[in-house]
Amino acid sequence: MKTGLKIFAFAILVSLFYSYVGQTVPQKITYPPESAELGADMSATELAAAGEEIVGGKGTCLGCHTIGSHSESLRFPDLGGIGAAAATRVEGQDDVTYLAESLYEPNKFIVEGFLGGMPVINKPPIGLSDDEIKAVIAYLQSLGGTPTVTLATDLGYTTAEQATASPAQAAASGASTGPALDGPGVFAAYGCAACHNILTADRGVGPSLHDTGSRMTKPEIYEAIVDPDAIVAEGYPAGVMGATLSASGFYQKVSTEELKALVDYLADQKGG
Amino acid sequence: MTSGARTTERRLLILGGVSLAATLVLLVATEAFGFTPQDASQPEYRAMPVIGSRVAMWVVAQLHLMFAAFVLAVPMFALIIEIIGYVTKDKRYDDLAYEFTKLLSVSFSFTATLGALLTFMLIVLYPRLAGYMVKIFSWTFFPYVLLFFLEAIFLYSYYYGWGKFSPKVHIALGVGLNIVGTAIMFIADAWLTFMNTPNGISETGELVSMWDAVNNFIWMPINVHRIIANVAFGGSVAAAYGAYKFLGAKNDRERAHYDWMGYIGNFIAISALLPLPFAGYWLGKEIYAYSQSLGITLMGGTFSWLFIIQAVLIGNLFLAANYYLWVSMERIEGAERYRKFIKYLLASIAVCFLVWATPHSLVASVEESRAMGGSHHPVLGVLGVMSAKNTAVNILILTTYISFLLYRRGNKEATVSWARTGNIIQFSIFAAVIIFVVFLGVYGYFVEARVRIGLSVPQVLSVLFAMIAVTIIDIFLFKNAKIRGEIRWGDMPARAQYALFFIAITFAWTMGLMGYVRAGMRQHWHVYGVMADTSPDAFTPTLGFASNVISITVLIFFTFIAFVFWLAGLSGKKTVSETVEEAP
Amino acid sequence: MNLIVVGAVVAALIALRFLKPNALAWTAATWVALYVAFRWGIEPPLPASIVNMFMGIVTIALLAFVSADSERLRSAKSNIVNFLVRKKYTVPLLIVLVALPLLVAFKIYVDMSRSPQPPVTGRTIHPPPPATISFKGKTVDLGAVENPFREIEETDPEVFAAHVENGKRVYHQNCVFCHGDHMEGDGIFAHGFDPIPANFQDATTIAMLQESYLFWRIAKGAPGLPMESTPWASAMPAWEKFLTEDEIWDVIIFLYDYTGHRPRAKEELH
Repeated sequence: MKTGLKIFAFAILVSLFYSYVGQTVPQKITYPPESAELGADMSATELAAAGEEIVGGKGTCLGCHTIGSHSESLRFPDLGGIGAAAATRVEGQDDVTYLAESLYEPNKFIVEGFLGGMPVINKPPIGLSDDEIKAVIAYLQSLGGTPTVTLATDLGYTTAEQATASPAQAAASGASTGPALDGPGVFAAYGCAACHNILTADRGVGPSLHDTGSRMTKPEIYEAIVDPDAIVAEGYPAGVMGATLSASGFYQKVSTEELKALVDYLADQKGG
Repeated sequence: MTSGARTTERRLLILGGVSLAATLVLLVATEAFGFTPQDASQPEYRAMPVIGSRVAMWVVAQLHLMFAAFVLAVPMFALIIEIIGYVTKDKRYDDLAYEFTKLLSVSFSFTATLGALLTFMLIVLYPRLAGYMVKIFSWTFFPYVLLFFLEAIFLYSYYYGWGKFSPKVHIALGVGLNIVGTAIMFIADAWLTFMNTPNGISETGELVSMWDAVNNFIWMPINVHRIIANVAFGGSVAAAYGAYKFLGAKNDRERAHYDWMGYIGNFIAISALLPLPFAGYWLGKEIYAYSQSLGITLMGGTFSWLFIIQAVLIGNLFLAANYYLWVSMERIEGAERYRKFIKYLLASIAVCFLVWATPHSLVASVEESRAMGGSHHPVLGVLGVMSAKNTAVNILILTTYISFLLYRRGNKEATVSWARTGNIIQFSIFAAVIIFVVFLGVYGYFVEARVRIGLSVPQVLSVLFAMIAVTIIDIFLFKNAKIRGEIRWGDMPARAQYALFFIAITFAWTMGLMGYVRAGMRQHWHVYGVMADTSPDAFTPTLGFASNVISITVLIFFTFIAFVFWLAGLSGKKTVSETVEEAP
Repeated sequence: MNLIVVGAVVAALIALRFLKPNALAWTAATWVALYVAFRWGIEPPLPASIVNMFMGIVTIALLAFVSADSERLRSAKSNIVNFLVRKKYTVPLLIVLVALPLLVAFKIYVDMSRSPQPPVTGRTIHPPPPATISFKGKTVDLGAVENPFREIEETDPEVFAAHVENGKRVYHQNCVFCHGDHMEGDGIFAHGFDPIPANFQDATTIAMLQESYLFWRIAKGAPGLPMESTPWASAMPAWEKFLTEDEIWDVIIFLYDYTGHRPRAKEELH
């Protein structure tokens, strides 16, 4: 028994020692990347600043690439001065085209002296959105050049919506897991405009919603969406909206956040 | 066998049976309620109170893995020892094999119970991931259950049938046990490697080819790496058992027996340790082949410091293994001739250890880094890169081999006529290979990265060549050698036994660390690039936190193992004293 | 490598062989010698974290050395026991017993009294320049622009000397306060800056750069630095607001003239 205790004490000592070794190395927590907030009205310079965040964070570019390293034995192309070099790398490609290709089809053109194998940036695991890639390109342009790309620039590539959201997540949970939509987005995504007018007072299949906020409270709007037949607007047939929404899968797909955004949006429509 | 021992064995059998049944029920439950029909109300995560879901899963998975490693490894070398005993007709090998096997049955029950707990927790805590894994791997669960069943049959018949079947039948049972055990591990490896390097699925995560999903990039490297590492780990735990019994031994006979057992266990562990870096290298290569970003996350990014901790662990392992051999040489008459070399071997190990543990970018204060002109030290920086590390590990392996060679020669004196020439040839091989390895290591600084990566292959091959060539020469050199004196088994200081515990704990800790990095390199993904982790635990914790979890896991494991040792001692009280009669 | 220290350590270890000390003394001496070698023997000095790690490994290895041989362990043990029990060691024992806690206390004191330090950040010292800059309303192509006065260096030395003289005036009116009388980055304000001003005498600064690069750096100063060079971590003003184009080119000529460096030729651009 005494031997056993001694051995156990020894085991604790050794484990403590290794725990101590574990404390002596740099302690860093890595958080999952957060999507950058990109506004459509950002200038190329502002976009470049946002792009720098992405390059160091979500894009994980700096895990491989250096910026401004003059080391002789680089394993990956250095990005210092890429803004100037991009226009000259491939005959007939300007800098934006070249950078876009490097991100969307990285193994199409390999810089001399390096091996291929860079992951496709708009696919998981990195999975940057098209807008984020534009920000990255703006930043890369700023390294040695002047950024010109804005969110309005057409790169000639688009990412299918499926690929950016985690596909398996969608498949496994059966619920929409794309980025949460805002009110107008929900209104558009679920095809509300097919029946309802939101900008004018003209009636469609359903009543106009341009003045919803001035005639209904938020709870009433909620009820009108979740249970359309509870109160049917005068002059319209009952059951149509409920049946349409059920058939289109609206009730399965819509998330709480989206529903809230939709109600808020409708409540803001005061008419006039 | 006494009635007491028989009752204990019966109890063990019942315990094993109950936990096996529990496992099967749970596995079937996984299938039946596999959450394949997707229910919108099904939550994606559930939280484990106090410690959190991740830590709970982490500790249970790691414990399961350690027990599984032990349960898979022991039959491998027990069988080999049994075969040695059968071929040489040396009864003490057979007894030793039996004694190793005795540790199995309770461990098997623990493994099964922990596996059931793991499955259970995965379903409860991570329903979305569990659902997805079931969807991908549904058809692999049935052979798994079947194999598990076979494993139980083989294991118990191998253990209880000891001495009751003809040796050949018994050995065949052992072979069956090993094949089934390995197959079980291969299936389980497919699940976990799929999470690292998913394969065989469409862009939307739907299964395209089951075989491709199983045979993903790192499935085979992990299988091989695990088999070797399991043997090393199992050997070290078995050696710890010998050390534990040695320290509690009541007479010289027991001491001699358990000294020998500890030695054999350690020999197995170290033999398996030597090829392990190469298997790890292959694994790393496949990870890079799958995705460079995954490889760089592992080796150059977030986890680069983890490999500094690993270097400390491996350095300690090599040091302790050599240390054990050096202390063991004291019980060999004639080995004092070689004692003078120990300090050079030690110096070689210490230097390699230093090189291996030197990080590339150093932790420095502002003033220090200003003096260095950056985070890379101009002198030390050269030790931080792969070339230096590869060289260090190759020399470490070679040094350990030389230690063992000296140990083996301890009491022997070559009588063949070409003894002198043979020694010179052996020495020249060592010298040439060491010079070659160091030369390639230095040469690596002057060539491109692409060439540099390739240099590790000739390094490894030359070391392997040296070990094989020297061993062959040694066998012939010491044929009919004059024996200068006996090996005094049992004449060992307690500190050598503590070295064995140290090796076992360090192995367990290394497994914990490598298990962590295997799982952790996915970062915020459950299935890398396919299913993101959206739980509050999606972040990667600090290495300090991980170290603490690993330490706690290791201590829980050894508490369990102490219980296993104690039970094995109970069941075998009588057998041991019988065995000792025949011990050398 | 600090050869004096390393040489002294090696000499001390060789001397130790002739003294034939007991195992304990040998181990302690080796430990100290290696500590000295790691701490002071390597230039630039190793960070404390690395020295600690190395000494940890050395400690483990030396412990293994002492205990790998029963005879040696016994003698080392008896040395310690003798030291603890013999009458004649009472005074040194007391000294050790008092000194040990004092040493620990001293170390803690040193650790605690260290002034706060800023976090370490990576900084590119010579970032790639932009292709073009705008200077007082016109666009300057940094890839093509040359020092307009460089060509008269050979053809018209007299006029060139006047430009050097004018550059000297500009330097001493504006730059000297930070970059120093001898251009070593040690002007009277230099100590107040982190990082310190550039040292033009150093062969890795202006000697490696083209004149157009210097023009960019002088004209745009710290605010014109790209992000990787952390513009906020430099006190260099943007001189385009104070100097004319000719004055900048003159001061560049003076920098090279005074230090004796030659500007980097255009062809080597990469």
